[in-house]
Amino acid sequence: MKQTDKEETVISVSDLYKIYKLGQERVPALRGVSFEVKRGTFCAIVGTSGSGKSTLLNMLAGLEPPTKGEVIVAGEHMEHKRENQLVAFRRKHVGFIFQAYNLIPSLNALENVALPLSFRGVRKSVRIRAADRYLDLVGLQKYKKHRPNEMSGGQQQRVGMARALVCDPEIIYADEPTGNLDSNTSEEMMNLMRNIVHERGCTLVMVTHDNHLASYADQVVRIQDGKVKEITTGEALRERMEAMEKAVAGQV
Amino acid sequence: MNFIDMLEMSVTNLRKRKLRTALTVLGVVIGVASIVIMMSIGIALKVSMMEEIQQYGSLTNIEVNAPYQAEGTKEADIKRLDDELIETLSALDYVKYVSPRLDMSVQIAVGKYTGYPTLCGVSKEYLQDLNINVGEGALPTGEGSELEVFFGNMCLVQFYDKQFQGYWDTGEVPAIDLMNDNLYYTFSDETPVMDDNGNVIRKPKRYQFQTAGVAAGSIDEYHQYSYQAYCDIDQLKAFLQKAYHGRAIPGQPTTKKGKPYKEIYYSSLVVSCDDMEHVQEVATIIKDMGYNAYSDTEWIESNQKTANMIQMVLGGIGAISLLVAAIGIMNTMMMSIYERTKEIGVMKVLGCDMRNIQMMFLIEAAVIGFGGGVIGIIFSYLVSFALNGIATGAASDMGMSKLSVIPPWLALAGIAFAVVVGMVAGFFPSRRAMRLSPLAAIRND
Repeated sequence: MKQTDKEETVISVSDLYKIYKLGQERVPALRGVSFEVKRGTFCAIVGTSGSGKSTLLNMLAGLEPPTKGEVIVAGEHMEHKRENQLVAFRRKHVGFIFQAYNLIPSLNALENVALPLSFRGVRKSVRIRAADRYLDLVGLQKYKKHRPNEMSGGQQQRVGMARALVCDPEIIYADEPTGNLDSNTSEEMMNLMRNIVHERGCTLVMVTHDNHLASYADQVVRIQDGKVKEITTGEALRERMEAMEKAVAGQV
Repeated sequence: MNFIDMLEMSVTNLRKRKLRTALTVLGVVIGVASIVIMMSIGIALKVSMMEEIQQYGSLTNIEVNAPYQAEGTKEADIKRLDDELIETLSALDYVKYVSPRLDMSVQIAVGKYTGYPTLCGVSKEYLQDLNINVGEGALPTGEGSELEVFFGNMCLVQFYDKQFQGYWDTGEVPAIDLMNDNLYYTFSDETPVMDDNGNVIRKPKRYQFQTAGVAAGSIDEYHQYSYQAYCDIDQLKAFLQKAYHGRAIPGQPTTKKGKPYKEIYYSSLVVSCDDMEHVQEVATIIKDMGYNAYSDTEWIESNQKTANMIQMVLGGIGAISLLVAAIGIMNTMMMSIYERTKEIGVMKVLGCDMRNIQMMFLIEAAVIGFGGGVIGIIFSYLVSFALNGIATGAASDMGMSKLSVIPPWLALAGIAFAVVVGMVAGFFPSRRAMRLSPLAAIRND
């Protein structure tokens, strides 16, 4: 398995700016963001909509180039790479979980999970076997031959998780992974994600607007107006929230 | 990503949108079929042209004639067609054999008719190569000392009755049995010998020869051998040398004093080459030697050029519909890419190489082209079959044995062309797909 040296920095962001140009106007989305994520950590990036959290994730995954600043992921500078290099980087190091699951509709669960392996040129028999194992891991034994439109949202997102895990990536990015799910399914999903990530020792970076979901994480980076507001732990967040709930209850 | 995976993805995508794929393929089918059918008509035209040319003479032969000799040319400089020249020409590259040909004008009297065919003495090989369809009797063997004559199937048109009416005048085939009737030959170039008072002392002599056979076919059926009477050159020479011993042989040159030469000179030589491609080359060499050389190749070449041009024009007309089909492919691919913008984005986020994405779409376009090509060829064969079946009347009116000919190379080229057209049409869309932003995957709409 991977070395789980907690002290090793796997993501390092320093003084990151992203300014969008909308016509003549310049809209800053990120204004000098800096933080680090250690290997094997579950990191949540929290913020309201428009805070710039999604932009930050895009930059971490190399989907958009930053305007200024440094993004170092797994020891490589993302800001200097060309598009095909970024694609190759993601293929090698990164798994991705989407809010809208984004499974390929024409492929069944097994084939969807095996897809990233096919991008790596893995033989079909090998990758189907791997996909099979990961579907077992996320608890979808019965749905392997199902198409996305034959599954519930929760099931689809489990397929999405299996797809992110199948390449055994160093880092998994999750963009509002429970955004389209009901609260019960969200809880299940969060527990599953946390457990798997901790078992396998890979780094998970999750973007969410929900403080409650963020409290599952080891590390919480709060973004507000394109800046890091605070960096704390999930535990601290949970305690604070509980305290607030009590206070609210006391008032009523 | 390996090729098989990409192919699988492409085919899956095509099958997902069956109707649209089928319609696009249909466009290619029509395009390919129209090109192939048009070209097949051009090819049929060319084939029939070649068949026709074949009737007029062998395509690999060169006819060699002695050049015009100006009066007073020195004896040593006169070019003559003799056995020595035959040997020289036989030694040339690409030459299969050289046949002498000695044409004797003869007059044949039979019953009330007199005929004026040409008696040609030729070699056995040449006679074989004429591919004569023998009707009665057999080709002259050339063995034995007796001269044997073989008549072409149209020789009888050169026979006239006492009123000098022949077949072309009366429309009636002269009642002559060339095999069994008594034929009396005289050599037309033999002049009567007269004494000083102008009295004929020796009239041209009449000879009788054995008829070896007659070519098959009606009196109207033309082949290059139809008009002549053939005999073996060695037998003819032997006969002439015996019959005209010490005298001038009719039609042969003489010395200034009117004395005959020892040797018999030929009217022409036929040089047979191993392949049509070399005919021109050999002809040039012979011309350089100072002889006249005539072959059909120049005529054939200009004919072929015309045929090729007709074929190109026909193919070009057909190509327009393939162009329309190509636009159809492009349209289909564009639609498919717009629909799958998100899917392509997801693949890019998940690390699918950009070139693989392009390749997948190119393969998709190529598969459409290939499918359309194969079905188009099958369709073309059916149409060609139907054309040849229904339109035999029209074809024979135009002197063609078939209206449409699809050789295997055309079928293969048709499919290959369809694939190439598909890929060219798919290139621009595929590049667009490759350049789509991965952010499309993140957007929620």
